[in-house]
Amino acid sequence: MASHEIFSKLRTLREYALAQGARAHLEWKAEDSHLVRYANSTISLNTNEHLTILEVTVYGDHKSASTTLIVDENDLDTMKATIDKAIEMLAFATPLTYQPTLPSIEKTSVFEETYDPEVEALPNEDIIAFVNEATKGLETDDILLSGNFSSGVATYASISTETPEVVFSRKTDIGITLVLSSEKRKWEVNAEQFVSHKRDLDAKALHDRLSWLVELYTTLPEERLPEGPYRVVLGPAATAEYLSFLGWVGYSASTLKRGLSAFKEDDVGKKVLSEQFTLVEDPSMLATFPSPVDAFGRVREKRAIFDRGVLTGFLWSQQTADEFGGTATGHDVSNLSIALQGGDVDTALIQDFACLPRDRDILYVPYLHYANIVNPTEGLVTGVSRFGALYLKRDGTITLPYNVRFTERLDQLFGDKLVWLSKELIPYGSSSSYFGRDPSTTLVPALACFDGVTVEISNESF
Amino acid sequence: MSVDWKSQVKRLMARGADYADVRYYPKHEEDFKLMWNGNFLAFNRSEESGFGVRVLVGGAWGFAASSNMFSPEETFDRAFANASAASTKVKRPIRLADKDVLSGRFESPCAVDPFEVPMAEQIAMMRELDGYINQDGVMQRRVMLRTIRNTIQYYDSEGAEIEKHIVEIFPSIHVASFDEAGMMQGRKYLPPRRGETRGWETMDRDHWKEQADRIVAEMRQSVEAPKCPEGHMSVILMPDMMFLQVHETIGHALELDRILGYELSFAGGSFVRLDDFGALQYGSSKLNARADATLINSPGSFGFDDDGVAAQNRMLIENGILVGAITSRQMVTEANERAGRQIFDGSGGTCRACAFYRTPIERMTNINIDPGQDGTLEDIIRNTERGVILSGEKSWSIGSNREQFHFSTDIGWLVEDGERKGVVKNCAYSGMTLDFYRSLTAVGDESTWEVQYVDNCGKGAPGQIMHLGHGVPVCRFDHVKVGE
Repeated sequence: MASHEIFSKLRTLREYALAQGARAHLEWKAEDSHLVRYANSTISLNTNEHLTILEVTVYGDHKSASTTLIVDENDLDTMKATIDKAIEMLAFATPLTYQPTLPSIEKTSVFEETYDPEVEALPNEDIIAFVNEATKGLETDDILLSGNFSSGVATYASISTETPEVVFSRKTDIGITLVLSSEKRKWEVNAEQFVSHKRDLDAKALHDRLSWLVELYTTLPEERLPEGPYRVVLGPAATAEYLSFLGWVGYSASTLKRGLSAFKEDDVGKKVLSEQFTLVEDPSMLATFPSPVDAFGRVREKRAIFDRGVLTGFLWSQQTADEFGGTATGHDVSNLSIALQGGDVDTALIQDFACLPRDRDILYVPYLHYANIVNPTEGLVTGVSRFGALYLKRDGTITLPYNVRFTERLDQLFGDKLVWLSKELIPYGSSSSYFGRDPSTTLVPALACFDGVTVEISNESF
Repeated sequence: MSVDWKSQVKRLMARGADYADVRYYPKHEEDFKLMWNGNFLAFNRSEESGFGVRVLVGGAWGFAASSNMFSPEETFDRAFANASAASTKVKRPIRLADKDVLSGRFESPCAVDPFEVPMAEQIAMMRELDGYINQDGVMQRRVMLRTIRNTIQYYDSEGAEIEKHIVEIFPSIHVASFDEAGMMQGRKYLPPRRGETRGWETMDRDHWKEQADRIVAEMRQSVEAPKCPEGHMSVILMPDMMFLQVHETIGHALELDRILGYELSFAGGSFVRLDDFGALQYGSSKLNARADATLINSPGSFGFDDDGVAAQNRMLIENGILVGAITSRQMVTEANERAGRQIFDGSGGTCRACAFYRTPIERMTNINIDPGQDGTLEDIIRNTERGVILSGEKSWSIGSNREQFHFSTDIGWLVEDGERKGVVKNCAYSGMTLDFYRSLTAVGDESTWEVQYVDNCGKGAPGQIMHLGHGVPVCRFDHVKVGE
């Protein structure tokens, strides 16, 4: 649906809400998603989902209630009925201890810088041809292709009864995960890519990584690593996973105020992490699929969250600010635009790093599977390596380690244990959550090195 | 707008499809209310309507879904085109196992539909629960209530016509405080299924009050408790922890799509191989596990799956030996072909989608552990030399092939020389799946068996969240690695 049609429908719904005497915030979300899924060297699934979602929040004195509707994009009657439902629910909402803020959008904003009509129209044939190119010559009777090629468009628009202005964004994205695995030996390696524009697709980069890893995994010896401390180099996926947990327990005011934060208000202004650790939230970074204006119409600005290890403050959503008496910091967006600043190491590709001379053994872990937080107030995270770990030995040889489990405290990992970071940043993210298409990436150094990371459990086979 | 679904399915068959089905959701309703320290942070009603079409062309799946009802034939055609495109890269054409073609209706048992309970009464109940846990020493308290009412109409090209009407209720209470080191210590209660129904009538105030007092008392004890000792010892898993152990290391490990490599790009595989069925010593002889979708009071029971196959009760592990898996029509055929022998006798009826806009995949039903012969909890404690009783799942992390795990729990109680000693905090344990189940040395009797619910099981791409259950007894495992 064209943006002007969405504007028109939202304004019609706003008028309806006003006519009912409601103070309301209306959010329109639409997705047109396409996923080509591979497994066992077959296209195991080829799907399209076309969904329109209307979210309504109605505000009263110290009250709010909300409704969500997935419905036909032209069915205004049902959309009006869901506004009625929210108004009806508001009557039953019990008073909050705070006054919730109704968004008041001062100026209409349109963001389409990460929208590419070529992605929206990407045909099956192009997708299949791309994956064929990225995996050319790598599949065998034993080495099978799995993966996802997810492409689509996510549209967001919001309006409130306070003004007729609209916050609008339309983003396309392509998220690619390609996995090659041995059916007999059960090892698996992967390569991933996240882009907003078709022109940025790079089949060669995917092929280079996969072919290099497959060569190693079909020729080198495997081994079970002894449990104990290691120097570890993480790939983008693993670093991004740790950063996502830091986002939860490290600098969210909501987490802080609910007692789940690993850092406390007293930590603001203190050096709590390594001097090499500078984490920024910057809505100008297009690779993160940013939202330059938040749901309240606030124009967002870059800020450092950790500046050379110093915690500069917590990020406050409007709800948290309302409830706990803080000031919203302009982060009422579905995904933050986070980047861990690069360091001074020129090497970005593991293929190159593995060729460098080294003075000690190094465990390369590209990916953490099913990590979870053991204890939020301690910032303790556990997870298991996956997808092509390598053990780079001091003598220049390489072996293939079975998967290992780390359980690490984030303040230690990004504190004293952080040794170096690559200069080059890589976007790592996802196209969708369980709740719909919502592309996001975190920019992370291509390689990140840590000392004293303990292997807690070491598998006995692939 | 009325759509002739069967005609659309026939149209795709006339175009050359091998098979087609459609699931239409006239209305999926879900209420979610979250009260945190007395404030409703979520007070939400959601409704969904739309349809999903699945079609086999040239041995490959295509799927399309839409909330747009004005031009349904476009979505049917899109699914067909997707399948046609997918059929250009097929290594082993999909063949669906035979099934009985069924016409039927399923209604989950419910005496009082929660969507017919006045909102004011629901709010009053939540405030009452909040009052129960609003006690001295509680610094964070949460009351959650999720209710679901869903109607699904299913038609396939083989002639099945099924309608399902499912009502669910998922309540819980949570409390937390901080110990002297500033670490959060929490406790929660998600009520096991009691009685024969799944509706509002299960909300028993006296039971909630009793459980609220219990978890607050246990949280206070955790705050004051010493840390759990580290080392190797017995662990006695209460049902509110055992269910998650089973979920992650039996349930997911035995999903046949994972075993066959269909989830490798994200969720992961399984350490189980096709050769293992009928041979693998999964656990000690005390381990008996089943997938039982006929357990009527649990969210893992749904009458018919999204292949149109009737709900079943099948053994997965019998006296410690692996004998079955969580299966669908597609996967059993492929598994038998790849194994070169008949491992599976038809679909186990576990193919489900979480929404009209997601495609059905193997999902757990009620993955249960049969009660054993080792008596009550107190009997098991009495026969334990050194160990820790663990309760309340706090965190979980599992290897990609489900071969290893790390769990932490809300609370523990030390056991020494057959006696329950004091409370310990920050309990965690880890291990290798097969070693762990082979060290199963005690399985509690019926008195210890509870049906726990799961309302957040994630799997698949695009991601899906599913509801299911686990009937589990108290179990003891020996020589387990304990410690953070």
